[in-house]
Amino acid sequence: MSLTDQQIERYSRQIILEQVGGAGQEKLLSSKVLIVGAGGLGSPAALYLAAAGVGTIGLIDADKVDLSNLQRQIIHRSKDVDKTKVASASEKIEAINSDVAVEVYSERLTTANARQIIQHYDFVIDGTDNFPTKFLINDACYFETVPFSHAGILRFDGQMITVLPGRTACYRCLFNKPPPAGLVPSCSQAGVLGPLAGVIGCLQATEVLKYLLGVGELLTDRLLIFDGLGLQFREVTVNRNPDCRICGREPSITELIDEEQAVCDLRASK
Amino acid sequence: MAQINTAFQLPQSITEDTLAYGQKVREFLDGQTRPAVFKAYRIPRGIYEQRQAGAFMVRVRVPAGMILPEQIQRLAELSRTYGNGVLHITTRQDVQIHQVKLKNTPIILESLLEVGLSSRGGGGNTVRNITACPRAGVCPNEAFDVRPYAIALSEYLLDSESSFNLPRKFKVAFSGCSQDCALASVTDLGFFAHLKDTTKRFSVYAGGGMGSNSRIAAKIKDFILAKEVFSVAEAMKRLFDQHGDRTNKHRARLRYVLERLGRDEFIRLYQQQREKLQQEHLQAPAIRSIISTSKASALSSSATTDKLPDGYKNWRKINVLAEKKPGEFTIRLRLALGDISADDFEKIASLADMVGEGVIRTTQLQDLLLCQVREDDLPFVFAQLSGLKTDVLTAHGPKLIACAGASTCRQGLCRSRGLATAIADKLRQTDLSIEFGDEVIRISGCPNSCGHHLVGAIGLQGRAKRVGDRLVPCYAILVGGKAAEAEARLAEQVELIPAKNVPALVSDVLGVGQPLGQAGKEQIAKIAAKYSHIPTIEEQPDVYRDFGDTEDFSLAGRGPGECGAGVMDVIQLDIDQAKQSLDRAKDAADGKAKSEVLYKAIVAAARSLLITRGLEPKKDREIFTSFSEHLIEPGWIAQETKEFLDQALDYRLGDTDDISHLEKSVEGMLGRVEELFRSLDANLNFRVEPISKKLSDKESSKGNKQAIDLRGVECPLNFVKAKLALEKIDLGQVLEVVLDAGEPVANVSASFAEQGQEVLNVGKDGEHFHVTIRKKKQI
Repeated sequence: MSLTDQQIERYSRQIILEQVGGAGQEKLLSSKVLIVGAGGLGSPAALYLAAAGVGTIGLIDADKVDLSNLQRQIIHRSKDVDKTKVASASEKIEAINSDVAVEVYSERLTTANARQIIQHYDFVIDGTDNFPTKFLINDACYFETVPFSHAGILRFDGQMITVLPGRTACYRCLFNKPPPAGLVPSCSQAGVLGPLAGVIGCLQATEVLKYLLGVGELLTDRLLIFDGLGLQFREVTVNRNPDCRICGREPSITELIDEEQAVCDLRASK
Repeated sequence: MAQINTAFQLPQSITEDTLAYGQKVREFLDGQTRPAVFKAYRIPRGIYEQRQAGAFMVRVRVPAGMILPEQIQRLAELSRTYGNGVLHITTRQDVQIHQVKLKNTPIILESLLEVGLSSRGGGGNTVRNITACPRAGVCPNEAFDVRPYAIALSEYLLDSESSFNLPRKFKVAFSGCSQDCALASVTDLGFFAHLKDTTKRFSVYAGGGMGSNSRIAAKIKDFILAKEVFSVAEAMKRLFDQHGDRTNKHRARLRYVLERLGRDEFIRLYQQQREKLQQEHLQAPAIRSIISTSKASALSSSATTDKLPDGYKNWRKINVLAEKKPGEFTIRLRLALGDISADDFEKIASLADMVGEGVIRTTQLQDLLLCQVREDDLPFVFAQLSGLKTDVLTAHGPKLIACAGASTCRQGLCRSRGLATAIADKLRQTDLSIEFGDEVIRISGCPNSCGHHLVGAIGLQGRAKRVGDRLVPCYAILVGGKAAEAEARLAEQVELIPAKNVPALVSDVLGVGQPLGQAGKEQIAKIAAKYSHIPTIEEQPDVYRDFGDTEDFSLAGRGPGECGAGVMDVIQLDIDQAKQSLDRAKDAADGKAKSEVLYKAIVAAARSLLITRGLEPKKDREIFTSFSEHLIEPGWIAQETKEFLDQALDYRLGDTDDISHLEKSVEGMLGRVEELFRSLDANLNFRVEPISKKLSDKESSKGNKQAIDLRGVECPLNFVKAKLALEKIDLGQVLEVVLDAGEPVANVSASFAEQGQEVLNVGKDGEHFHVTIRKKKQI
């Protein structure tokens, strides 16, 4: 692959970087990243990765754009309400950068399709808003050995960690299983400040680019916690858990499982 | 308890070097050392970066393949704590820990030191692990036990700093007899044991090797006294040091020195080195005989032999080998592709503590051996091995050896490990009525022979074949290869078949009912011919995909800077096709027929070299456009070629129906394409001069100095373009950049300096400036 004049100009500000160069840019152009959830976190991540020239971006989301999404899901516009999120997002990506090939899946990520989809990608961004899917991403990425960036946001707080399956602490090493029904509300009920999604989604995009380029220190074996009200970043060191149900010494999870949907329980009990 | 009196002793200098390593890592992690500098420090210490960012591999040398239970214990602990919990046995008897973090490598190396292990010389341009027959000391065929020599020579060479800065890697192997289980006939320096009465002697071979440009070693000396191995190895090392080509690592190995000098001159220079050494009085370490006493395990006495478990008989037949001392046996633990979990390896270590000679051997076939096991202990050992998670007991076919392959190697064409697994799966489902012996199927993913396919009973070599505008992953089937003293030979190709047909072919060949080594070449060729047909993509899309791939086979991702014989192979295919078409044009009956084949020749010739530019266009029009842009414009191909490409395109579009007059021009173009092809260097740059010396900012003239004219290009795009041009040249080469006065010349020079490149000169030339930069670090 060699860069066209247009590409050289388009990506000049990152080719200039000592750690990127033409070779790094070519790496990005030949990379494939899957974004699960074209919502609050997925929006900024998708926009920046597209702008950076990540060659293939996969988007998976079953939802349609809702008016209440627009407060934080900045890839969608007012005119997009009722369109599928993946269609709306892929239009924006193509408008930003036609170098990027978009692969859309207008469906939920499930135990049936997760491994099949994830195995085609070099990296996965978890931009979902529910625990079962977060565990599903963790497990599917473990089985397919695809690294991913986990993140979650709620109210004024965010947290994230990067997982290199089998090598660094995974999501299940931290949290064995989803919290019991009713303990943690989803952000659709609890509310969230829009820019939180921007901060954390952009950090996820940063991790992706670092991983693809093979530069810097990834956010592995440490959980980053962002407190928007106090405006503080905090880190908690985490280790691989030898008793982890999936990546521990004697794993009990050997195939994808459906975790309980705690959010639904909460809704039902109301 | 079993006991062994001696083992490899690490020289003091290695201990000191290892203890200094931690500080170097800390300095690097603190940003005090540049990555390129640190890399050059790290690799000769056996610490390799893996393909995934941030993951490292530690290659631990195991001289003569002898490893003690406590050492395995430690390796297992380290792999579990810092790595992925799996250990890997290499074809050169090393043990590797995978997927560790750089920051943890110092503690790993220090911890290994405590049990007498080291990764020094595990990589880089160093004396690599010195290997020996895996059954040395117990093999009924050996002349004498070669382990003491391999171990003492390791101790001698490792103690010398000069062993770690050679032109390229230097591999030494000892075989106990002419059958050559240690592959001494295809290594840099190989010794074969011979007994004359009771005098121990070695014959000496040098300049062999697998990998790219495989060669059988040449005989250097009929016989030396066994104790002379030190001065022979030292002399060969010095010869290599002085004559190896340090400027081109792709042609640096000892076999290139042999090729360049010729055998006679090579031997003369070697003799000269030996004579010099005689005056130096070499300080050689003592050669310590290895004596191990095997005792029956106390545990075994309780295991009765009255009722033998299922599978025991078959296991005993295929995995238990007689030794020279009656009543003692070698047990082979078969590993798939050399991988074993740390937990299982640990269990095998405790077993080795209880039975046999008290040592585990690693083998060139990536298996493990337990030697000197007493007959009475066999059922106990079987029971213990049955309890492992890894199946080391059964075998459903011959041993499979594969290189890393295209899934991790950027030179690779085919996924060789995927094929190995597919063959194993296929054989598991096949009822093999025959007995298979020690023969090996060896697989390389590309024409380089890292999987040693050139010495396999059956060798499989990854290739790509073009069908229409698509590529099919294929394997060349080679037979008749053999490593052995004096009669080593490289295998010959009998057929080329689609990768997906290989498992069935292997199953069929075995089904003939003869051991692989004896199935004749013609017989295998006949069977292989049945599998050579390539169906169309509509008939069998699967054939167009490699094992484990969900996309059609392609060469994407293999381009400039990643020289691979694999890429060369594809170019050759196109050139051959163009030649064939041109030949047919000569015999064509009429203008119509001639035009048709000429057109095909043009397309194939134009397409052939585009892959060196990282391009793989499919449509004819795109091929012509790319060819113009990347080969004609920069002056590699004559400008006139453009005209007849236009005519060819007219023909294709139906605007003209006769291009038979282009025959001479096509011949000329193909000749030039071939000339360019032959001149490709390891970085896929042409070494011949361009036809017209036009300098553009895309491609510049190939002299000693590369140049790029960036007048009129604004900041910072001028720096971006200059940087891209610098990326394309080799380290140490020089780039000249022509820049406008003012900001451009100031900024570009300063930016290069900031990024660690060397600005040699800034010279004024009228209105503009010439800035000369030497590439000091990889970008």
